[in-house]
Amino acid sequence: MKMRLTEKGAQRLSISFLLAPALAVIILLFLGGLITGLLRSLNYFPLIGLNDFNFEAYVAIFTDNGFIQSLVLTFHIAFTSTLISCILAVAAALLLRPAFRGKRIVHFFFSLNLTIPHLVGAIGVLYLFQNSGLVSRIMTGLDLISKPADFPAMVFDPWAIGIIIQYVWKEIPFIGVIVLAILLSVGEDYESVARSLGANRWQAFRQVTLPLIMPGVVSASVIVFAFTFGAFEIPYLLGRTFPAALPVLAYQSYTDVDLAARPQAMAMAMVIAFISTLLIMAYMKLSRVYIRE
Amino acid sequence: MTQVKLSGLTKIFDAKNPPAVDQLDLDIDSGKLTALLGPSGCGKTTTMKMIAGLLRPTSGDILFDGNSILSIKPEERGAVMVFQNYLLFPYMSIADNIGFGLKMRKVSKKEIRSRVTDMLDLVQLPGFEDRKPNQLSGGQQQRIALARALIVEPNVLLLDEPLSNLDAHLRDEMRVLIRRIQTEMGITTVFVTHDQEEAVVLADKVALLFDGRLQQFDSPDAFYDTPRSAEIATFFGGTNFIPGHYQDGVMKTDIGNFKAPHSAVGDGAAMLSIRPEAIELGVGGDNSVAGTILSHVYAGRYARFQVKIGDLEIEAITEPGQVKLFGDGDTVPVNFAPDKIWILEANSTPQPVGADSAG
Repeated sequence: MKMRLTEKGAQRLSISFLLAPALAVIILLFLGGLITGLLRSLNYFPLIGLNDFNFEAYVAIFTDNGFIQSLVLTFHIAFTSTLISCILAVAAALLLRPAFRGKRIVHFFFSLNLTIPHLVGAIGVLYLFQNSGLVSRIMTGLDLISKPADFPAMVFDPWAIGIIIQYVWKEIPFIGVIVLAILLSVGEDYESVARSLGANRWQAFRQVTLPLIMPGVVSASVIVFAFTFGAFEIPYLLGRTFPAALPVLAYQSYTDVDLAARPQAMAMAMVIAFISTLLIMAYMKLSRVYIRE
Repeated sequence: MTQVKLSGLTKIFDAKNPPAVDQLDLDIDSGKLTALLGPSGCGKTTTMKMIAGLLRPTSGDILFDGNSILSIKPEERGAVMVFQNYLLFPYMSIADNIGFGLKMRKVSKKEIRSRVTDMLDLVQLPGFEDRKPNQLSGGQQQRIALARALIVEPNVLLLDEPLSNLDAHLRDEMRVLIRRIQTEMGITTVFVTHDQEEAVVLADKVALLFDGRLQQFDSPDAFYDTPRSAEIATFFGGTNFIPGHYQDGVMKTDIGNFKAPHSAVGDGAAMLSIRPEAIELGVGGDNSVAGTILSHVYAGRYARFQVKIGDLEIEAITEPGQVKLFGDGDTVPVNFAPDKIWILEANSTPQPVGADSAG
């Protein structure tokens, strides 16, 4: 018995040694940053003369209507982008699954924009969907609208349509490639079984294929959600100044001339981290219930 | 009960390759157990998938009770296929797996529950409702897969290699179970196998396929007694081939003339075939020739002798006790009982004698 414990102990020790380099990076960069941020959000920042712990920054942001609006907007952007990307990515993966002529070329184009930076995508959206953009000009040319200014606002708009378009464009291949890989490894036999047992196409998809690919869809969409909730560049480029998405708001506060706004910026960052964690946990739990059904 | 007819059924996957299934005609008896037998890649599973509606034939027709079912969707054909690797839905309980087909048919939950219980009794796994597939052994999963198919009361039950993933002991158990259920429920059943013994033990009739083409469709014993070609005879375990000339019920060969009343061919060049277990050592008579024993193997339940007759070498399988009677180098009379001789076409290319032995 004792022997076995020692063996186990040795094994654990060697595992922790092997993990040490990776853990060091995570702890130093991630936890270190998180803790510094947390301390500063609690008004502890000796460098600029803040030494007393308090919750003033949190009180300030949560009583600020602008912050609440930003929070709602950010949630809207992240949720809508993730949902639309997921649905379209699964549909695309299903279409790309069967063998067809030129499959490799189609796959290449499908995953091509994984390599294109978000910034380039944002510029593309600007060129296409601004009031003076390509789409509105073409529609004017075709007499679908009388002048470019009549084109519905899709950039710098209250519904963040431009931001969502950019995220969907970028994330479909990301989720799609993951889902396609899972679909190919699962194979079509489970579906055949379901069809043979009396399920129609939709039932076979809903009852059999979807639950089988769901774990992959969930992991991929959690990553997409967390990214779109916390990313700064796209809402900064394509969003309104007010209400701005949370990361943009946090950045604005952080770069404010008034140093006293720093704790508020940090508090916002903390809120983003906290809410993303919470939402992701809830999302994973929900999808697990969905799979079990 | 459903009679299944395949008519000129053909499937071509890739125009560059020969058809996977080539002009297959088959009348599968209603309420009987039919085996599709053949080496791997001979088109058995493809045929089955076409019957189930999971693959579209390139040409030809499939008829259930005289009506073409090609335009009927798989979920409405009532032909349920059980796959070789069971494919239980991994995230569902055993009860949900078995009840799946009824759920798709919108049967009430209460009825599903009671019928699932009945099915678990039928496959002798009562009380397994709440388990998950990964908690079951291969044999148990196979039974659950069978129960999941049977619960929807299929017109045609299609079993893809139902025994090949099981070990010997479970295989026997499953054979008995399949036979019993099939007889009780009287479902027209087709099963695919590469194992001739499995086909013979289980099936009422066997359809043998090589390279997508039907070779022989017969009762199991016919494949042993009256195979249509040397290739078929070889597939059903080793047999001895002796070339010669057949005329008026007598086969003339280099090693002697044999009375042979049973033949697949008319007079002319032919091939005599006789199974090793039909050859009698130490028995004289009209159909007997002298041979020299080259070697022997004692195998407990039987003995196997290599015997040289003229320039030919044949194999004989006898009672184990015969090893005491004959030793290597002995010259003994070797009898070819007329009833056991089967005359085949001459141009079929036989395997070297004894290269592919029974068992």
